Amino acid sequence: MSRFFALGLASVAVSVVTSTATAQSWRTLDVARQLTDSAPASVQVVYGTGRIGVRATSNPLLYHMQLRYDATRAQPRHTFDVASRKLQIGMQKSEMRFSGRNDADAGHLQLELSRSAPVDLSLDLGAVESDLDLTGLRISRLHVESGASDAKLRFDSLNATRMSVLEVSLGAASFRGDRLANANARDIRVDAGIGSVELDLGGQWTQDIDLRVDVTLGIVTIHVPSDVGVHVTLDKTLASFDHEGLTERDGGWVSKNWDSAPHKLRVTAETVFGKLSIDKTGR
Amino acid sequence: MRTAILPLILAVAAAPLTARQAAAIQQNPKTAKPAADSAAKVAAPAVAVESTDSGKVQLSKATVDSLTQLVSRYRRDPEAVALPPENQIAMGGRTIPAGTTLAGPVAVAGGPLHVYGTVNGDAIAIGSDVIVHPGARITGNAVSALGTVNLAGGIVGGEIRQLAGALGAVPQAAEAESRAGSTRHALALSSSWLIILVLMAIGVLLFAGDYLDGVVDSLEGRFGRSFWAGIATQLALAPVLCLLVVALAVTILGVLLIPFAIVAFVLAVVGLITLGFLAIARITGESVAPAASKRYSARGAALRALVVGVSIYMGLWVLASAFAWAPVVETVLRGVAVAITWVATTAGLGAAVISRGGTKRSAPTASFAAVNDIPWQTPTPVTGVVAARRPTPSSSGRDR
Repeated sequence: MSRFFALGLASVAVSVVTSTATAQSWRTLDVARQLTDSAPASVQVVYGTGRIGVRATSNPLLYHMQLRYDATRAQPRHTFDVASRKLQIGMQKSEMRFSGRNDADAGHLQLELSRSAPVDLSLDLGAVESDLDLTGLRISRLHVESGASDAKLRFDSLNATRMSVLEVSLGAASFRGDRLANANARDIRVDAGIGSVELDLGGQWTQDIDLRVDVTLGIVTIHVPSDVGVHVTLDKTLASFDHEGLTERDGGWVSKNWDSAPHKLRVTAETVFGKLSIDKTGR
Repeated sequence: MRTAILPLILAVAAAPLTARQAAAIQQNPKTAKPAADSAAKVAAPAVAVESTDSGKVQLSKATVDSLTQLVSRYRRDPEAVALPPENQIAMGGRTIPAGTTLAGPVAVAGGPLHVYGTVNGDAIAIGSDVIVHPGARITGNAVSALGTVNLAGGIVGGEIRQLAGALGAVPQAAEAESRAGSTRHALALSSSWLIILVLMAIGVLLFAGDYLDGVVDSLEGRFGRSFWAGIATQLALAPVLCLLVVALAVTILGVLLIPFAIVAFVLAVVGLITLGFLAIARITGESVAPAASKRYSARGAALRALVVGVSIYMGLWVLASAFAWAPVVETVLRGVAVAITWVATTAGLGAAVISRGGTKRSAPTASFAAVNDIPWQTPTPVTGVVAARRPTPSSSGRDR
């Protein structure tokens, strides 16, 4: 029997020693590019683990990235094609690996973008904590794709450029979008696997909005200003719908002010094992 | 090496330009004056514009050696841009006067690179700063390793890049590290699972020993049946779960129970798989070391058999993990481990299902024909009857 206890102790020792013996090489990379004109640019951000923040810069820069990373685990990427004005920035996704430690406390990326150049922004995120404050930016298209994350998106002021589409695709995540009417997007799409999605459609309404929400398992809460008319078309399976303040009409649900409202929100929701709530009081 | 570079880096990062430069390059008194002059020109750009290249300073051999090694490390860094040849890197700093145009890359080490003119290409400072003064133009990148790029009014056509932290050849080191690291990580993971399973085995033996005995009884001598039952169970898992959910969904109150039912179902399946795996591990352990078990009590023998069995099955995974540095060997060993573990787990799951989680024991096989005593226990009526002779194995031959 003692041999087996010895084997167990040896295994424990091996586990402890091997789990603690890993090398790191932390670096800070700061890259920026001067703003030469206000021509549109395409920005593709890839980031796997850690914290990421995006915001506008008031300096005369097209972009400015501050990145803290472990060079033994990932390589930064920052390429800008002057001809096509396409910026690829962040970390090489194929080389991103989990360290087994709390990477969110260590690695981070802070990206600042120009206020004057219209930007087609695409974020491909892994397991990250993201704070996307797009206030003051000129976003012509926004695509956010995230695996397992805690994501916040906000527009505190009106997007000066009309956005063609705002797409958010999430795996297992918690997502909160604040003052999304300021995004100036006619088409908003949110696709989530598992998690909670909270969409605040407050802000300045310049047009009607089509909102498509597809959540497999989770809670979707949509906050709508009281003066906006709401029409909900829901396809639900084993899901509940909190339709307080809405009445059924033509196979959908409409708010009382639907016919008279200056701006309208058309919600097309699909959910399985979830809950959809419409809060008409705004926030 | 590190001690030689450290004061250089610290000085570059914190102090004002002149003091920084002076401290960094460890000048002797003779060279202090030109450095001070250079600083004065930085403070008064109008003077500097008229000046010529004033950054050349005399450095000690030790400082030059340190800077050379720093430059060498930078060359191997993945974030490095192409540097000019060694003899064209200005040690101690350099100033590009206004009105002059240089073909890049222009590089300095251990002192600032002041740009008033034009650099057609990259401008690089290692262990120091790049200062882009008004009217200056850099058509390529402005790069500083362990320093800063100061935009003081000039134009940089390329990227402005600052690198802090460790310098050097990371990718090769990372690759070696990743192989050793992945092997260590795989070994740690499989060893941890081995320990967890042994601890679970001890727990099951202590607190659910009877259920484990039931599964072992069901598995012994009926491996084939248990294996096919295990396959049938695996195939039936998803449909049964769907049926369960649908059955709950048809009732209004049942909908609320769906999440709990799913969790309970998963827990039950995991429990059965664990029980079955431990049962087959115990049988394997008993079969590997049958004679030795006589030295122990029944529980001690069972524990020993469990530990041996679990170690055998998980040992395959540990062995595969030990070859993580050799992907082909690891893949083959992992395939073998997966196949053996799957067969064992399937048979164990089948036995656990057949024995209903070890609660149903198989009936013991009779070694001889039992005599039914019940009909012969009828009380004799008061009136009396002629009693027949009760047949017994011994009497039957005698009667004949």
